[in-house]
Amino acid sequence: MDPFEALGVEPAFSLDLGLLEQRHRDLSRALHPDRHASSGVAERRMALGRAIEVNEAFRTLKDPVRRAEALLARRGVASGEGKEPAASPAFLLEVMERREALAEVRQSKDQAALARLIGEVGGEVARSERTLTEQFARAAHESAEILKHIAELRYYRRFLEEAASISDELF
Amino acid sequence: MLLDIFDPKAPPQAIGIDLGTTNSIVAHVRDGRPVPLTTCDGTPLLPSVVHYGVEGSVLVGRTAAAYATREPERTIASVKRFMGRAAGDVETKRLGAYKFVPGDDAVVRFDLGNLRPSAVEVSAEILKSLKQSALDQLTHVGGAVITVPAYFDDAQRQATRDAGRVAGLEVLRLLNEPTAAALAYGLDKRQNGLFAVYDLGGGTFDVTILRLDDGVFQVKSTGGDSALGGDDMDREIAERMLTAMGANEPRLRTPEVVSIALEAARHAKHASTEAAEVNIELPKRGGGELRFVLRRGDFEDWIQPLLERTGKSCRRALRDAEVEASALDGVILVGGSTRVPRVRAFVQELFGKAPLADIDPDLVVAYGAAIQADLLARDSDEVLLLDVLPLSLGIETMGGGVDKILPRNTTIPAGAQATFTTYADNQTGFDLHVVQGEREIASDCRSLARFKLGGIPPLPAGVARLEVSFDVDENSLLHVKAVELTTGITQSVEVKPSYGLTDEQVEQMLTEALDHGESDFELRRLRDAQVEATRILLATEKAFASDADLLEDAERARIERALLAVRQAASSASQAASIQSAVSALDDATHGWAGRRMNRAIQSAIAGKNLGAVERSVAHAAGVEAHLAKHGDHER
Repeated sequence: MDPFEALGVEPAFSLDLGLLEQRHRDLSRALHPDRHASSGVAERRMALGRAIEVNEAFRTLKDPVRRAEALLARRGVASGEGKEPAASPAFLLEVMERREALAEVRQSKDQAALARLIGEVGGEVARSERTLTEQFARAAHESAEILKHIAELRYYRRFLEEAASISDELF
Repeated sequence: MLLDIFDPKAPPQAIGIDLGTTNSIVAHVRDGRPVPLTTCDGTPLLPSVVHYGVEGSVLVGRTAAAYATREPERTIASVKRFMGRAAGDVETKRLGAYKFVPGDDAVVRFDLGNLRPSAVEVSAEILKSLKQSALDQLTHVGGAVITVPAYFDDAQRQATRDAGRVAGLEVLRLLNEPTAAALAYGLDKRQNGLFAVYDLGGGTFDVTILRLDDGVFQVKSTGGDSALGGDDMDREIAERMLTAMGANEPRLRTPEVVSIALEAARHAKHASTEAAEVNIELPKRGGGELRFVLRRGDFEDWIQPLLERTGKSCRRALRDAEVEASALDGVILVGGSTRVPRVRAFVQELFGKAPLADIDPDLVVAYGAAIQADLLARDSDEVLLLDVLPLSLGIETMGGGVDKILPRNTTIPAGAQATFTTYADNQTGFDLHVVQGEREIASDCRSLARFKLGGIPPLPAGVARLEVSFDVDENSLLHVKAVELTTGITQSVEVKPSYGLTDEQVEQMLTEALDHGESDFELRRLRDAQVEATRILLATEKAFASDADLLEDAERARIERALLAVRQAASSASQAASIQSAVSALDDATHGWAGRRMNRAIQSAIAGKNLGAVERSVAHAAGVEAHLAKHGDHER
């Protein structure tokens, strides 16, 4: 189900997360299984299915990568790993350098360096998201450009996950 | 009050149960406030200890605990640590007095010679005792909310629910302990904000970060360790005591000696919260006594590694919630182990603020469970608990890795789909292995279910498409369904995890457990069906009051006929089955109406809050309606 429709919000890349949260809460009030605890089996199952849809939609829209993919899906553009254009050599170089830096931090157990690296990549994430906001707002947009930025975001997110698990392991 | 007690038609009272590692508590809501019920020990706290006498008697609570040093192998304490564990798990091999039935059994069984009770059955004895206490005081007990550590995995949750069913309880809900505690605090203080719950019990540690906003308790993240608690502090002390007693070698550590040391360690720990130095008399090997001195400073050094482990979980939970400790409005202490002064100091250092402990940390979870049970029984809409999945769910990939399908801290209920295709011509089945945990390798995660999906029509490789849906319900319990997409054959498989009990097994255990055999069992089923029928009658009447305008005349007539049939069956039928069939006919008759009512609820939730221009929100509502009209029936 289209997540924007499930939550009843205007489809856009730039969303007010506070309002989204409010909407999710209002819908949960109506649909959460606890609200249907005394109903018959069929109604309980129905409520559970709808509550899952709403939670899933909320999870999708909170996540910039999945939100962008949902917007593309509305425009009939397939997305996902493997459907994205090859990364530019400059980006690949940047990726390699950051990976090396992360591996070094793992060795040196340098907490400040890890925080710095996480901060840098966080900055890149913000930049990519701003670019995507602009691209989605344009009347005529380039799907290929958008897919490229989605791929970058996906990479940054994976990097941050890995950095978090290193932080778990070391500190 | 007296009238209440003697009224055979007293309304059923919902209860909340904290099934703890060390103590268990049952509570209910009276005049709008949670109160603990007195257990068979005459106090609210029932030691979670079960003694199986050689001659077949079963004791629970303090009388059972009295056998701990005399018959340690037949006196099961801390059974919660064995819930949902297999015989080969590490937990079963730690310092303790028990013998286990050897083998690769999916469930742990205690070897008592004549008896081989599983952890589920031992827990059920505790629950039965609590249920009896509640019955003595409330006359008529309705459904129960049972709490579980937030960090319990699916196997541990299933085991807890099974224990409730074996004890003859209607389990309304499994509620996470920190969420229960927050519920008790939140309703007491009526304060909104961001809170951390630090819950260190006898055998489990949980940390939960949640936001409380006008009756909505939204869990942001949860973390912990389902095998870390006060028991481990006892073991630290007991290890040193055993050494002092001269029992260094494993062969000298008989169940009796271990049990004496653990018991003494527990006493010393409790005494050390008041005194800087505690003296304990211990029996010496080869006779005589020795004096063991426990200094608080030493004890604090010994437990520091345990506290560090809780600190790690807390930092991760904060990161998962994307909040800084400084953003918290309060930290709530839960669990008996938070009485240890060093634990409180540690929590204060960790979060940078003095923790709240003004509701008794031993009772607060049971209070929260009682409140939730009461809210569910009254169909109240004052409070909404939005909890999360504690551990990621995944599927084992071809290379033994894990493909995560739902990450930890996903709001529940949650669902995800994965599509599989065949890799050989005419392949008609798949093996799927569902695991839970954060590790990258499937064998390092908890194995939840292995199953074969069959019924795929013979087709060339890669043509058949099997969509597997993983639904996690409000209790964090997993349900798996599979549908073959290409042929239009909606072959659907409901998968029961291997360690859970089937309904037949539970019924069999129930029948065996009942003293009076078959007829009582039938009677109980009949009564359960009557309660269920009454509940559905009430719910339908309530729906009539609010949403009768969504009914067509013919539909309304059909529902009214079905209602009448349920009413008659509930009052006159002598078989549970006839009530159940009337209820399911009512279910069928109201199905379409229920869908329209839910659409209305969704629309009003969406239209209720102004998210911009009025015409825009109308357009959204229409969009949702159109979409639901297309897809609304997919449940069937």
